[in-house]
This record gives sequence, structure tokens and C-alpha cells, in this order.
Amino acid sequence: MTLTLLLEQIFNGLQSGVMLFLIAAGLTLILGVMNFVFLAHGAQVMIGAYAAASLTGITGNFYFGALAAIPITFLSGYVLEYLLIRHLYQRDHMDQVLATFGLILFFNEMIRIGFGPAALFSNLPPSLSGFVYILPDTPYPVYRLVVIGAGLVCAVGIHYLVNRTKVGAMVRAGANNEAMAAALGVNIGLLRRFIFAAGACFAGIAGIMLGPLTAVEPGMGEPLLILSLVVIIIGGLGSVRGAFIAAVIVGVVDTLGRVVLPLILRSFMEQSAADGAGPALASMMVYLLMTIVLVVKPTGLFPAKG
Amino acid sequence: MDFFRLLLAGVREQRMLFGLMAGFALFPAYTAYADLPFWNDVAMRIMLLGMAAMGLNLILGYGGMVSFGHAAFVGIGAYCAGISQFYGLYNGWAHLALSLGVCGILGLVIGFLALRTSGIYFIMITLAFAQMLFFLFVSLEQYGGDDGMSIDRAEFVLFDLYDPLRLYYLIWSTLLIISVVLLFLVRSRFGVVLQATKNNESRVEALGLSPLGFKVTGYVISAMICGVAGTLFASWQEYVSPDIMHWSRSGELMIIIILGGLATLAGPLLGAVVFLLLEEFLPELLYLIAPDYAENWMIIFGPIMIFVVLFARGGLIGWISRFEAQRIYRQGDGR
Repeated sequence: MTLTLLLEQIFNGLQSGVMLFLIAAGLTLILGVMNFVFLAHGAQVMIGAYAAASLTGITGNFYFGALAAIPITFLSGYVLEYLLIRHLYQRDHMDQVLATFGLILFFNEMIRIGFGPAALFSNLPPSLSGFVYILPDTPYPVYRLVVIGAGLVCAVGIHYLVNRTKVGAMVRAGANNEAMAAALGVNIGLLRRFIFAAGACFAGIAGIMLGPLTAVEPGMGEPLLILSLVVIIIGGLGSVRGAFIAAVIVGVVDTLGRVVLPLILRSFMEQSAADGAGPALASMMVYLLMTIVLVVKPTGLFPAKG
Repeated sequence: MDFFRLLLAGVREQRMLFGLMAGFALFPAYTAYADLPFWNDVAMRIMLLGMAAMGLNLILGYGGMVSFGHAAFVGIGAYCAGISQFYGLYNGWAHLALSLGVCGILGLVIGFLALRTSGIYFIMITLAFAQMLFFLFVSLEQYGGDDGMSIDRAEFVLFDLYDPLRLYYLIWSTLLIISVVLLFLVRSRFGVVLQATKNNESRVEALGLSPLGFKVTGYVISAMICGVAGTLFASWQEYVSPDIMHWSRSGELMIIIILGGLATLAGPLLGAVVFLLLEEFLPELLYLIAPDYAENWMIIFGPIMIFVVLFARGGLIGWISRFEAQRIYRQGDGR
């Protein structure tokens, strides 16, 4: 295990953690503030990725495609909340799980009909497709650094939005005690719709940025959704700060595990078996981490409700 | 004789469930007559899914515990058969015993840890355990890893499974036994306390009972039923892969229960019938309307699920019983 490889993987882990945070930031508020189990959040990632990829394809300009996709994701969250989600707040968790599970099937199939089952690949503009040397002998893709940077900027933006603005104060009040917030004059219905749309928008941004890194295909959001649920549980429901820390932990553990575990396994297994088993065991580690957190501290590391 | 009296009363009350079972018992005669052997296969899948859903319903419906990871136990049951065969053990009864044991122990451990939490946390921790097991089997390369492994039908002494009809009736009789066990279980003291914990846990505690013990026991029993369904599923499919424990399969089981009717005995089986018929006929229906999109039947299935959740309170059983109540009301009214 060389330092180069380790550094590279830590950067990759950071990148995946930042993306997970963007997905989890909205979802933790949806779960925490609204006590609503929303499984179709992965579809918002997919919508963002497809919007960006197809707009880039039409206009031929990556930056335009990426930026124009952002309002689309915001709108999709807004409309979805208005049409369906607000009718489900009063239902129990199982109804919410099932209805949003139905939404996943619907969205995936819509995308499959609209864009075909094959994965879309979008090319990066030349300005983003180069490498930089993070150490003298370690080249690292520029785009991934841009993703980390943009993700961190978004994280700071979300932090500012939640902790320094009036809307943020309402969101936090809602997270702490919704009935009390409503009694003090917060329009809870509107607040919920805003959180939903904003959450969809952040998830969409993650999808837009992940587009060139992964395959843009139907169902791409679900593995990310499950991982971000893990992030939310570890960080504590409704806690944006907890989501950030947990996302980075999960991202780094998952990414490093994929590289380090096969190396460890190789010391007592055949190489091919170790390479096959390593990534799956790394995925297991993330869930193990979550289970340990839940058993030791059932409300997560940074619970929002006091 | 007391047992038979109670059984008879139960059968009379659960006409729907035992009517369905009678239908399944006669179904092969119809498929033989109409020369539709394929439908025997569908019926077996319905019974297996219904069996797993019945197991889940014990805690989901009666106990109010929203477990989002029960497909894992179905998968463990299937792998109990698969891995035993890998090491040369072909006796199906041994597979079943192994599956009961392993799922029981796993259910005890997972149930005990998961039931320390509730609400959203419980949903998520059950999902997490299921994902752990899923990735464990993906990582086990010697048992096929991601691709799974082909297996033979297990050898059941007394039920030689080379005749597909014997497999059919093996599944049928297992389902019948499980139905009867559940029938007695939900009326037993245990079942009543379990349903009470769903309604109000602190009152159960105030009565001097420990809700956790009852909930964990319910969890273990439901895990074991799912394990049995999985072991038989492996023989039916002659193939085991981690796909059987994918989280969307857990969602499917929940859909089946909601569709049929939560906390009813017949609900999961009826739900499985409707679920698989939708899966069979929606593509064909879609083919008639829009031939190009026949394989995209999920586009209709997803909204159906949402509509079921939004409007069909109590599922099909609830719908039927409301209908029946109206009929009785009209009769009583003299109209």
C-alpha cells in the first residue's frame, strides 16, 4: 500500500462522501422534520443526471446543461410534493414506504421509456478532463477535484441556509417541534414543500455532477439512496451537520474498504477470491458501522431533536 | 378432540384462506385438463411468496413492526438448501431443519438488536441487516457470488420431487401447516399480547408483561416461516442467487401484504395471487394497447401501488369484508 494510492483513495472517498451529503442533506430533513419515509429520493438524483446529460447533448455545452438542470430538479421536487407527497404525511410509515417504492418503479420506467434502457455517457469539456498533480508523482482528475469543491461549496451554502437565514430558522424549529413552530406562525405546509423542493434540488445537483463519473442509467439512484439512508441514520435524523460528518465517514470507509480489504484478504486468500470478495465486504462494513451506531447510540451521532 | 373443534371453528371463520387453499389443491387438476402446465409454476410461486408474506405479516400486520428486510430470511433459507447441496447434502428435510435453525438464531440476534429501536430507525436497521447479508452472499465467491449457483431439487424422502406435482403438493401442504399454525398462534395468549403491543405498548407493560420478549419471539417465528419459504423456493427455482434477498424483494413482500390486507390470515395469500397475476397479465394487457411498451409494465404497476396505498384501506380483504357487511346490513334491514 503506497502513500500515493492511499491519498488517491482518500480523495475519492471525500468525493463520494460529498456527493452522499448532497443527497442526504435534503433527505435527512424530509425524514427528520416531516417524519416521512421517502424512498424515491434516488429518483431525484436520476432526474438531475438525465436532465443534465440530455441538455448537454442538445446544446453541446456541458456548463449550460449542468446549470439548466438545477431548476428542473427543484421543480420536480415541488410538483411531486404538491401532487402526491402532501397526501401521505398523515399516513403511517409503511404506507409511505410503499407509495414511494411505487414512485421509484414509476420513475425508473419513465426514464427507460423516454431514454432507453442503455446507459448514457456524457463527455467532459476539455477544460475539465485533464489531470492535476496533487503530489509530485500523483495525477488526479481535475473533474473529481471540481466535484469535491462544488460539493463543499454546496455544503457551506446549505449550512448557511439552515443556520443563518430566516427560512433555516423555521426549518430548525420544525425539526425540533413542528406543532410549536406552527403555533408560532410558521406555515408548515409551505415549509414542507420548500424543504422537499430544496432537497430534490440538492440531490439533483449530486446527480448532475455524478453524471460524467458514473453510468447514467435507470435505477442509478437506488444504491445511492440506500447509502444516504445509512448516512442519515449514522448522523442522526434531521441533523444536517450530522449528515455531513457521517457522509464523509461513509464515503471514505466505503471507498478505502474497496481498496484496502482486498489487500488484507490477499494475505490469506487466493488473489482472485480476495478481489471478488473485497468490495462486497467493504459494502458490508458500512452497514456494520450503522448497526454499531444504532445499537450504541440509537438516535445517531448528532441528533437534531433535543 | 378440542383441537379439531377449534380447527373447524377457525376454518369456518377463515373461509377466504381455506377456500383459497382448496382452490390451490384443485388447481393442478384444472391445468392438467386445460393443458397449461406453465400455470402450475405460477401457482407454486404464488404459494411461496404468499408463505413468506404470511410470515412477515405476523410481525408487520399483527405486531406493527415494519421490517424492511425480511427478504434476507427468504434468502438465508434458500442458501441453506444451496450451500448444503454444495457440500453434498441433498436431503430436503435436513435443509428445512437447517433453515429453521439458522433463521431462528439470526432472527433472534437481529430481532433483539433491531427491536431496541422503533419507528423510522427500526425500518432502517432491518434494512441495514438485510443489506449486510445481501453483500455477504455477494462476496462469497465459492457459492457463486453475484451470479448465484444452480442447484438440484432437494431429495425429500416420501416426496420424490422429480415429479413436479409432488413439489406442488409439498409446497401446498407446507403452506397449509403454516396457515393452521398461524391461525392458532394469532388467537393464542402470545398472539393477543403481540397485537396489544401494536396498539399500546405501555399498557402491555402496565399489565406486567414485557413487550420486548413477545416482539422478539414474533420476529423469530416470522423469520423462520420466511426461511422455510426460501428453502422451498430454492427447490422450485433450482437456482439460488443474492437477488432473492435484494431490498426490493422485501418491498415486494410488503406490497403483497398491503394489497391483500394487513393483519389478516388470508390477506398475504390473496395479495400474492393478485400480485403475480398482475405481473403475468399487465405486460400482455399493455401489449394490446401499446405493443412497443409491453415490457414497461412497471409504469402501470408503480401507480397501482400508490393507488392501493392511498385508497384501498384494509386491502382486498378489507374491501371484501366491507362489501359483506353492507350485504348483511341490507338483509337485516329487510330490503
